[in-house]
Amino acid sequence: MDTFPSNDESQPAADAADAGNHETAPVETEVPLIAVTIDGIDVEVPYGTTILDAARRVGLRIPTLCHHDDLCTAGVCRICVVAVEGMRTLQAACATPVTQPVKIQTNTPAVRTARRHVVDLMLSNHYGDCTICKRNNNCELQSLAKEYGVDYYRFGHPTEPKYAIDRSSPSVVRDMNKCVLCRRCVRTCSELQGVGALLVKGRSVRSRIATFGDKPLSSVVCVNCGQCINRCPTGALTELDQTDEVWAMLDDPTKHVVIQTAPSPRAAIGECFGLEAGSQVTYQLNTALKRMGFDGVFDTNHTADLTILEEGTELIIRLYQALVQGDTDIALPQFTSCSPGWVKYLEHFYPHAVPNLSSAKSPMQMFGALLKTYYADKKGIDPKDIVVVALMPCTAKKFECNRPELCSSGFKDVDYALTTRELAKMVAESGIDLPHLPDSPFDEPFGDGTGSGNIFGATGGVMEAALRTVIEVVTGKQVENFFDHANILPVRGIEGARMAEIPISEVGPVPDLFKPLVPDWDWLRGVTLRVGIVHGSANAKMVMEDIKAGGPFSKCHFIEFMACPGGCLGGGGQPIPTDAAIRAKRSKAIYQIDSDFAIRKSHENPVVLQLYREFLTDGPCGHIAHHHLHTHYSPRGKFMS
Amino acid sequence: MLLTGQDKEKTLISRLVKKHGRQQSSLIPIMQSVQAECGFVSEFAMQYIADLIGISASEVLGVATFFHFINKKPKGKFIIRLSRDMSSIMKGAKSVARQLENDLGIRFGETTPDGMFTLEWTSCIGMNYQAPAMMVNNEVFSNLTPPRVHRVIEDCRQEFNARRPTVGNVGETYANTLNYTNHEINSGLQRAVSVSPSEVIAELTVSGLRGRGGAGFPTGIKWNLASKAKGDCKYIICNADEGEPGTFKDRIILGKYADMVFEGMTIAAYSIGAREGVVYLRWEYTHLKPHLEAVLEARRKSNLLGADILCQKGFCFDIRIHMGAGAYVCGEETALIESLEGRRGEPRNRPPYPAERGLHGQPTVVNNVETLATLSCIISRGAKWFSSMGTERSKGFKLFSVSGDCSRPGVYELPWGITVDQLLETVGGQGAKAVQIGGYTGQLVPARQFDRRLAYEDLGIGGSIIVYSAERDMLEVAENYLEFFVEESCGQCTTCRVGNQKLLEGIRLLQQGKCSNRYLNDLISLSETVKLASKCGLGQASPNVVIALNAHFKEEIMARPILGAA
Repeated sequence: MDTFPSNDESQPAADAADAGNHETAPVETEVPLIAVTIDGIDVEVPYGTTILDAARRVGLRIPTLCHHDDLCTAGVCRICVVAVEGMRTLQAACATPVTQPVKIQTNTPAVRTARRHVVDLMLSNHYGDCTICKRNNNCELQSLAKEYGVDYYRFGHPTEPKYAIDRSSPSVVRDMNKCVLCRRCVRTCSELQGVGALLVKGRSVRSRIATFGDKPLSSVVCVNCGQCINRCPTGALTELDQTDEVWAMLDDPTKHVVIQTAPSPRAAIGECFGLEAGSQVTYQLNTALKRMGFDGVFDTNHTADLTILEEGTELIIRLYQALVQGDTDIALPQFTSCSPGWVKYLEHFYPHAVPNLSSAKSPMQMFGALLKTYYADKKGIDPKDIVVVALMPCTAKKFECNRPELCSSGFKDVDYALTTRELAKMVAESGIDLPHLPDSPFDEPFGDGTGSGNIFGATGGVMEAALRTVIEVVTGKQVENFFDHANILPVRGIEGARMAEIPISEVGPVPDLFKPLVPDWDWLRGVTLRVGIVHGSANAKMVMEDIKAGGPFSKCHFIEFMACPGGCLGGGGQPIPTDAAIRAKRSKAIYQIDSDFAIRKSHENPVVLQLYREFLTDGPCGHIAHHHLHTHYSPRGKFMS
Repeated sequence: MLLTGQDKEKTLISRLVKKHGRQQSSLIPIMQSVQAECGFVSEFAMQYIADLIGISASEVLGVATFFHFINKKPKGKFIIRLSRDMSSIMKGAKSVARQLENDLGIRFGETTPDGMFTLEWTSCIGMNYQAPAMMVNNEVFSNLTPPRVHRVIEDCRQEFNARRPTVGNVGETYANTLNYTNHEINSGLQRAVSVSPSEVIAELTVSGLRGRGGAGFPTGIKWNLASKAKGDCKYIICNADEGEPGTFKDRIILGKYADMVFEGMTIAAYSIGAREGVVYLRWEYTHLKPHLEAVLEARRKSNLLGADILCQKGFCFDIRIHMGAGAYVCGEETALIESLEGRRGEPRNRPPYPAERGLHGQPTVVNNVETLATLSCIISRGAKWFSSMGTERSKGFKLFSVSGDCSRPGVYELPWGITVDQLLETVGGQGAKAVQIGGYTGQLVPARQFDRRLAYEDLGIGGSIIVYSAERDMLEVAENYLEFFVEESCGQCTTCRVGNQKLLEGIRLLQQGKCSNRYLNDLISLSETVKLASKCGLGQASPNVVIALNAHFKEEIMARPILGAA
């Protein structure tokens, strides 16, 4: 596998000096060990290890706030200060590398007083009542206040709000009255996501987190990924809560309310109920949803499979036009379009590349369109009475389902996209103890999905699902002949941007489904399929620049892009906290679910095949499919009024 | 074709980007030039600049809003900035302020409806010995009185009609700088290139010279680190961001002895192997820029800058001037480097230190103006000559900027080790109640400690001395200091950003007689935390005045009548 130098997940950007430097690949070098003594405990750590990491090695917990393992060092909140022998002042443990043998104390009177003061000072500017805060019981500031025994407001407390709450965005709500200026959101937005919707404005006590020109968030370049929410230590950034609206629909007897659930929330929602990260609760969640009153519980994986067929077919058509018919106007590489954060990112930053995006709708939107047409027909329900709710790991889905062009049935494909966190709240509100529920299957007429659909939740998953199908369709042989257990390992991994090459050495007959499109596969014999996998928008930016410059990614045929680090399992709607270790556990769960499925290939999904027989009768990328399952995009640019 | 305002801005910006280069370090110079042309930097301009240099518009706005002297909104044709340092306040800046408000019919922070005048406070413009002082655009006016500012306003109005340039009026500063006057220009550089770089560094190390910016780091050791550090293009930065209230010695040095400063930079370049030098000149000293450019040009012509300096094959070095944009904290070397790179001037986490990894990740030496000028003398006349002056741990002489309640304010070159009493005698400040040694970040010394010595062993200091006579109100002094620190804190770390604000509020409570003993103790404890836990020297020193007040003037500050009580 070809590794592109990237913002590598396995190398969290811990070193301040290397922050934002995406050009150098991590190099393994001999690092000398330095002996340090922390609170009397001797430990040897590699040169340059931060005091924070050194302390973690010996099981000492130093409190942090502005520090986040995904982000570069800031060293601004000062809660992690420790006493270092020979230094006049206290040092921030997160920002101080060990470069020589030293004695460190993490629990002196001066350190305790300083930490207490830091919390006191933050609270003196933090307006908000814990009991009515979304982050109640999951707030880092609240925990620190408890930890440091804050029992009164030593330096005062604001009695009224300073800023109006910004609810303009369909995804993110900003309440700057609760902000403690740790700047994690700013660093997330610029470092991880390469968007720069947020900035530190002004200086001194007047400095605050702002948008460009202090415009409402909906009017600036924001991709709605919600990564900032996932990294906010307080309730300053939260998702736009739609649970009340969904409850109102559930309580309305005239509405037929159905829900489709994406793969990632199943591997994460347990965290909201005290389960270990990576616990699978797919079928227990079905039970919960049914008890809450949903009239149908469906698996988004079906339309993930449908996406593979539509997007895969589109790729085949593009390749055929480019390679056989010699059409030089065909936009290649083709980009995936499942991640609404990525789609909006492209529309803003690389509007000229909109033709490269697959015109296939995301699985969520496809399912919505089918529910209001095919399903409505089957059930004999007027589509106007059907309410489609989607459980997603994503805040950008809230924006996506409101795109005006996504309404092929005449109604919005999807009415509400709930995040994992919102649904967890609804489950709790219903008095349901999720971890102890019995299992329930998904509802008919769709039933269970496939393994391929499930791995859409992890970075590389879409690509792996697509390749499983492409390889079998083109070669006419089982993918297991080429990859053990159909696990296409070359596309798995955690590097921020990576490439894989799949040589097509043999071809078979064209299956019936594709006969209208191509006469034979001979033109693919000997072709090496080059694919790319990218996650995190900052990496997407790098790859887009690489393509612009004619670099290795410009030679790809197909690239999977996910806006969020780790793919959907690290989405902005997932439980807080989300970090590299938690993402790894969720990822493991998702691949485990995949390998447990009997059917693991999209083109073998009986529901999909049935859809092509009964509803999308002119096949993948046919007229009917185009009407319901495909869309178009709008170049937005960076200049916004 | 009719060009819209935005088309013109685009053309201008494209030209500027071509001139300064498409990198983030061009950002501040580009914004300054756009402002010179358009009066301010519009959001449109920011977005366009961002696009051309490949960063986000948010980042540009973040930088623009960090600096005082980048206008985000249209301001008046004449921007009047009255200095708010303690010397100015003591000499009547507040009555001057009232006169300005009355004459212009606006409050501070506002612009006249005709768009002619904008009125603002500013921190300190380095004119303390002729306080009060103000700037009108880039011109400085000092020794102000209400009638004088009235005339200045009239002149501005007439000048605008007549389109004549304004002429600022600055009186001569009393300056006693014997060693500088006696220095034969370039003799230090001549001697440096006649020996090896390591010998120059050794000489400097032996001389015991310590950084004159205030931190007092041994200069020889700094150079040694930088000379050993690996880098393709090392940098020498002259820190001319003299922002410490009450300091003006660097302005005098740059005005009178610029050659010595550049000579010092060139010696530094020779010693550590640097190819590029930058003078980071504070925006308030814009009036010095033409003079400095002329001196640089003359040095280039004399082969003292450029390629193969003094016929030394391969010794190439040149110096450019970078204008600051109004931020005291940029005097901190890592903040200065951040702002040179086109970012918000926020101090970095250290290590790494600039000598290892500074500007653009390269080994960088940042030296104060005075350090550079002084080392030219040292290399010329030898370490022995220098170290024969001063005390055991404080070698040589030092320039002091003296202002406040004394009869002979000015710049004094004095050997280390004299007592505060001796200093007061020299400057005519006998009978003072207290003296601020080392600027606002230094120490407030009460009369009973006037036998203390000016030396690193005792009162190790920068260069600013402010004398307070018996009638001065110490709470007013502390309030002024803390207002300054609150304003100038970069705002990144919690302790400095919020802590100083809480200390200022505490001082105001004291002024109103409403501060309990218990809360005063809380404030003192907080002061210790701010000093211990803040990231850079600003926060680590800003609470000094509160601690000093509590230690030396507790009776005075706790004796206030309760405001509003019957």
